[in-house]
Amino acid sequence: MNNGNHRQVASPARRLILLLGSLLLLYPLIRFIRFKLPRKPKIIEVSGTVKQDGQLLKQDFILLSRDDQLWAVSRICTHLGCRINYKEREGYLECPCHQSRFSIHGEVLNGPAQQHLPRYHVEEKGAPPALFVTIK
Amino acid sequence: MRIAERFGTLLQSIKWGEWSLICLYLSLLSGILVGLHYDPHEPYYSTSALDILIPYGAWFRSLHFYSSQLFFLFALAHYLAVFDKSESYDTTSFIVLILCLPVILMLLFTGYVLRFDSTGFSAGMIAEHILEAIPFFGSTLDRLLFAISDGGLQRVYLHHVCSFNILFLLLAWNHLRRYYRVNLTSHLPLVATVMLTGVFVAAPLDPEQLGISYITGPWFFLGLQELLRYLPPLIAGVLVPVALIGALTVLRRKSRWYPHLLTFVGCWLVGYLFLTVLALTIHD
Ligand code: FES
Repeated sequence: MNNGNHRQVASPARRLILLLGSLLLLYPLIRFIRFKLPRKPKIIEVSGTVKQDGQLLKQDFILLSRDDQLWAVSRICTHLGCRINYKEREGYLECPCHQSRFSIHGEVLNGPAQQHLPRYHVEEKGAPPALFVTIK
Repeated sequence: MRIAERFGTLLQSIKWGEWSLICLYLSLLSGILVGLHYDPHEPYYSTSALDILIPYGAWFRSLHFYSSQLFFLFALAHYLAVFDKSESYDTTSFIVLILCLPVILMLLFTGYVLRFDSTGFSAGMIAEHILEAIPFFGSTLDRLLFAISDGGLQRVYLHHVCSFNILFLLLAWNHLRRYYRVNLTSHLPLVATVMLTGVFVAAPLDPEQLGISYITGPWFFLGLQELLRYLPPLIAGVLVPVALIGALTVLRRKSRWYPHLLTFVGCWLVGYLFLTVLALTIHD
């Protein structure tokens, strides 16, 4: 509402300077906001063991073992980022937000997700052997 | 008919604006208290500690939750109740006040995310992906507002306790400075009801459950979550909500588009309600 104050109208030249000044400021501002601190790949030591033909659910990934093979699949849905769960009875991974489904190898079975889940490198080291998963 | 009329008069007689303001004050005070123990680096742990360990923590958290929700709902009721009187506002003042609504929603939304339980985490990640879908400046916007997958809850926390509040105050200042003095004693029943609600009804907290097949987001986000199942994030998450806010900013009786705008807003709300019901029923 009009509060009765008189406002001085800036001259066109002043306005132009103001506009150009703000535009100039925008560049460092955007560069600053967009900066991402480079992060090293995360190497996570897995607590717990994966049974033969079993799986182990962790915060960011799920470890799966089938026929002497061991691999890890991301649990972050490629649709909009919700955390995926493993449906034991059905034998696939499902996202609780919009029910995208993925195979145990991370391939999309059912949308809305369109991209496969990333797979992570798993390594067995040390004695007694421990599992290490590298997340990029 | 009489009952409906009486009900209508009753609704009109309620001072929704004052109720909303009282709830805002309760929300701010309880928010400060909750903030004493909340830790954005251990979000879920500190939220559950509030509920389980810290004396009266569950009460203050619940008070913060319900007073904030009521603040938003009463603000909406206030908008509806004084819609006719708002004709006296000039265009800029009206638009500025309408823009308070999405800012309040963002405050509520960031509050949900800060719990970082399964609902909060999912809602935050979805919001992040929606922003990233905006062409050209989407990722900058995400780095500014959320960036949860890279920076945790730092930004969400900052905006919840600081920037969105400042933005709200800036937008609502001209309006608030005339009404901010409310007489608490004349609203004791409301204050008591909100306080008691906090005692008896716990604020939600959803721990992660293995094998859970359906997570519903915050109540005002349900329709959007459902729509995201069928449409790309740019349309469902950006264009659809922006269309409503845009329509609300120009919804004035004196506008010659008023009947069309009203129809659009009405259809939007009915559609959203339908999606919300769908989200709550068919996937359970
Ligand atoms: S976020 Fe996983 S299906 Fe939408």
